Amino acid sequence: MVNNHIASAFDRDLDKIQAQIMKMGGLVETAIRDAATAYELRDLDLAAKVRANDKTIDQIEETINDECSKLIALRAPTAIDLRLVLSVFKVSSNLERIGDYAKNMAKRTIVLEGLANSHDRRLGLKRLAREVELMLKDALDAYVNRDLDLARDVIARDMDIDQMYNALFREFLTYMMEDPRNITPCMHLHFMAKNLERMGDHVTTIAEQVVFLVTGQRDEDERDKGDMTSSDPEMSKTSKG
Amino acid sequence: MTTHATKISAEQVQVHYGDTHAIKDVSIGILDNTVTAFIGPSGCGKSTFLRCLNRMNDTIDICRVSGDIKLDGHDIYDPSVDPVQLRARVGMVFQKPNPFPKSIYDNVAYGPRIHGLARSKSELDEIVETALRRGAIWDEVKDRLHAPGTGLSGGQQQRLCIARAVATQPEVLLMDEPCSALDPIATAQVEELIDELRENFCVVIVTHSMQQAARVSQKTAFFHLGHMVEYDDTSTIFTNPKDPRTESYITGRIG
Repeated sequence: MVNNHIASAFDRDLDKIQAQIMKMGGLVETAIRDAATAYELRDLDLAAKVRANDKTIDQIEETINDECSKLIALRAPTAIDLRLVLSVFKVSSNLERIGDYAKNMAKRTIVLEGLANSHDRRLGLKRLAREVELMLKDALDAYVNRDLDLARDVIARDMDIDQMYNALFREFLTYMMEDPRNITPCMHLHFMAKNLERMGDHVTTIAEQVVFLVTGQRDEDERDKGDMTSSDPEMSKTSKG
Repeated sequence: MTTHATKISAEQVQVHYGDTHAIKDVSIGILDNTVTAFIGPSGCGKSTFLRCLNRMNDTIDICRVSGDIKLDGHDIYDPSVDPVQLRARVGMVFQKPNPFPKSIYDNVAYGPRIHGLARSKSELDEIVETALRRGAIWDEVKDRLHAPGTGLSGGQQQRLCIARAVATQPEVLLMDEPCSALDPIATAQVEELIDELRENFCVVIVTHSMQQAARVSQKTAFFHLGHMVEYDDTSTIFTNPKDPRTESYITGRIG
């Protein structure tokens, strides 16, 4: 709905909150990309930057919370306006979590560098990170453009992320069984993969907010779960068995 | 929410004031033991439609009402229906508190007296006390029942008027912007009272305050240019209305 409240200050408040969300989204996209690049290129300065920038992301989330509370108190939003404010709350807290996961990846990149026997198999994580980053970009585009089709596409893509994570899980397990000295680095790598998989879930929640914002309803949760590592004992078997 | 029986059912109601077509084809089922709010911009027909429900429009010469309005399944516009008896069953409270220039007691006793509801003084006393209690004003006036009603504060006067309206033991209470002349505290008291009245009455309220409709009603009907655009649970109207005109109005956009 176009912004044309009789009280134009209401429009300005809503615009301001949405601008904050986009700014936050941009920073989180960068955090994922930088965390993945820092890992790929063993760039410890970049990793340190990712950790430092997370503070800005946290601050924006707080600003958004304050602005939203104020808007609820002063404007008593209803219908589409209410759903917008509610979705802003949810989107910002999910972005904040994704930022935390990126920060954690950066932290582990630094730790990994100090470990002997660090693995050079960096491609899998990089591909996973790129997929998650792209999913987030699309989820945010869907949010700005109120694009239901794109949002539903993002939700469906979480399945791919889960499958990529499963493959990595198996790969790391194999390395650990090959040589116990691989266990420490592979545990870190596994946590990084898990971080990315969790980011995918948070992106999915953001895409679900687009559906709620536009339709006022939530899609039935018929999404297949691609992460089988926690439910299927077969998954813990490796190719080497 | 439990579903209540339909108390008033209107089918294709049309109202004309001379050449002006004020209400266009309105059909609605108003539920018993429920507060139903009519909202909409000025001149949308919500008060006009409210006044159809107890034939208050009969008093206006150029006003013509057609279509069906049934109270408990009986046509209230049937020639055999006495409008005065009807208004005893369908009471009304107005925007501006309008107590009679009589004592508090006589204000409330007036209706029961003309309808012959009390056989003795003690019975009438009881009716008056019950009504004042239902109007949530008994504690404030019980020591000065014979003081003039006009000496009360605005909020007290409005609650007195509500007590007066319930004294004839109506089944339906129509309220036409009952709080628009009251301060926020008195408004909150009247809103609290409206919520209590729901237990015993079918309440229909016209209000310009959307927040008031959201606070006190379970059902909301949105009127626009003589049409009833949308009628649904209040929570639905205020979170996810179906019609874009409703959405524009409740979110404060130009409709």
